[in-house]
Amino acid sequence: MERVRNLFKKKEAGIITIFIIVMIIITIGNNAFLSPANIMNILTTNIVMGIAALGMLLVIITGGIDVSIGWVITIVTVVIGEFSTKVGGNLFILILVACATGAAFGLANGILVAHLKLPAIVATLGTMSIINGLVLLVTNGKYIRELPDYISGLGQQYLFKVEMAEGGFYGFPVIWLFWIGAIVLTWFVLRHTLVGRGIYAVGGNVESAERVGYRPKRVLTFAYVYTGIMAGLAAVVHTGIVRIVDPLAFKGFEMQVIAAVVVGGANVLGGYGTVLGTTIGVIFMGVINNGMVLMHIPTFYQKIAVGLIILIAVSIDVVQQTMKERRMVKVDIKD
Amino acid sequence: MKKIKAKSSEVYVLLGVLAAIIILFGVASGGALFSGNILQTFAFQFPEFGLLALGMMVAILTGGINMSLVSTAALAGILGAMVLSNPALDETTAITLGIVVCVGSACLMGALNGAIIACLNVPPMLVTIGTMTLFEGISLNLTEGGAISGFPETFFQVGSGSILGIPIPLLLFIIMAVILFLLLEKTPWGEKVYMLGSNPKVTRYSGINNTAVLFRVYVLSGLMCGLAALIMISRYNSTKVDYGASYLLQTVSAVVLGGTSISGGYGKVAGTVIAILVIQMITTGFNLLGINKLFTDICVGAVLIAVLAANSLKESGKLNFSKKRNLA
Repeated sequence: MERVRNLFKKKEAGIITIFIIVMIIITIGNNAFLSPANIMNILTTNIVMGIAALGMLLVIITGGIDVSIGWVITIVTVVIGEFSTKVGGNLFILILVACATGAAFGLANGILVAHLKLPAIVATLGTMSIINGLVLLVTNGKYIRELPDYISGLGQQYLFKVEMAEGGFYGFPVIWLFWIGAIVLTWFVLRHTLVGRGIYAVGGNVESAERVGYRPKRVLTFAYVYTGIMAGLAAVVHTGIVRIVDPLAFKGFEMQVIAAVVVGGANVLGGYGTVLGTTIGVIFMGVINNGMVLMHIPTFYQKIAVGLIILIAVSIDVVQQTMKERRMVKVDIKD
Repeated sequence: MKKIKAKSSEVYVLLGVLAAIIILFGVASGGALFSGNILQTFAFQFPEFGLLALGMMVAILTGGINMSLVSTAALAGILGAMVLSNPALDETTAITLGIVVCVGSACLMGALNGAIIACLNVPPMLVTIGTMTLFEGISLNLTEGGAISGFPETFFQVGSGSILGIPIPLLLFIIMAVILFLLLEKTPWGEKVYMLGSNPKVTRYSGINNTAVLFRVYVLSGLMCGLAALIMISRYNSTKVDYGASYLLQTVSAVVLGGTSISGGYGKVAGTVIAILVIQMITTGFNLLGINKLFTDICVGAVLIAVLAANSLKESGKLNFSKKRNLA
């Protein structure tokens, strides 16, 4: 019982409550929502967002932000598109190439933010417009098609495939492994490694972190490089699902990722954020988009709903915090 | 005194950069840059971007940011256009009402941002990302993705007419820049904005109503969007959700390039205005030389990072210096 109560005291409680209410409303509107096929569909369409959000989470915990993430993913898709069509190789090499490319761009952001001490939003804005220009210059805005099977077939591979009698099948999509792997890795890094604890410490208070013995520059650089690696992974999964490389596929993606992370309870001012919250935030946004399709709400209304939900979720979060602080002040006076 | 001198020197450096760019493109284009035609286009083109950048600047001065800038302008433009293209109204009423609706609705959207940011104390970036999506959604709903056109003839004057040879958009921009300059740098209210940006807690304890100041800042930001929207819909003779979509991040670049601190508390209107001219000059110059538009993005990004890195290196040099002195 104590555990359950603690769960409700957590910051993620607000989003979980809203999440459940929204799910009930959608289920009443269309009971196809809870069908296994639809749930699988929601998860699969949001893997890219989910992986990217994990990277963004680390940066946001440090108190920074990475608006270049959408274009970093794009340039990695272009690189792996060119690499797989021109050089060849196999999936393993391709993942390595993707993560290395992502990490290189992450390192550039990290150096600008950590070593040159540029404000994160401006530095990543700068790299974003440079990468944006580079991508369109190299590709001319054209798609890269006819990718080799090992990458373009990735989205169709299943483990434990079970054929159903009435046609169709259930199975465990291989691409889910990428998401699960990223979740476990990020959780482990944040919870059980020195650099992970350093990320929280630096996000909370740089000076204190430095006095305790963390090296803020290294910690910050790590956060941005990790975001780059996640962007690389997201690029592989995305290419595996859509099977072509579209240079404009991630226009405006960064805002969606930031929104998902924030809705998931991470503090944009730094110092707080969890893998669980972020993942719920991503799924929540996915469920809203999916639910509105199921309830036959015109797509034009979806943005309004998403905007309202971001506003409400963020406001509730802040109001909750303010009330908590007030209560703490009261306790002080009584004592 | 010394401090004031040091601060205005930043503006001179920017002026130097602007002059260098003008000379560079002037020579590279063989003087074509200075032809009346190009200057005319330039004068009509940059005010809408400039007004948006000024709107971004006031928000950044308080330590905030306004990501909903472009969607505010788009929605205000659409609302204004719906009135303007209404066949039931006669020309004068349509234009007056259209302008009022366009500017008024933008102020209201600014007020919504301001209310949530100031009263609930929610970080501006999140609020404005939320309202950005919200306004975009409403715009999409109203237009269903299409364009609205068919305005009265005289309305084109707003975007393409001139008074005494000065294009009306340019005039509007100059007037707003001067008003903003007076408001921010010559009035007590402006002083409060800067104070709020550098330290909200101290500002609060010195008896200033932070909520009221912040609220007005975002209304002002909205007003700029409304005016920019007026110029945009008149110049394009139509309106659509994604007009000006590329401006959002460029406005942040312009403001930061102009020497405004992204964490708030410092920044000059003159700096922003020159930075706006620099960015627009690069765009125009590249267009003139027939260089791919994409190089503009790369260039603006590179210039932004270079300027900031130079500032930060200068800053850290200063810090080392003072540390040494303390030791001695």
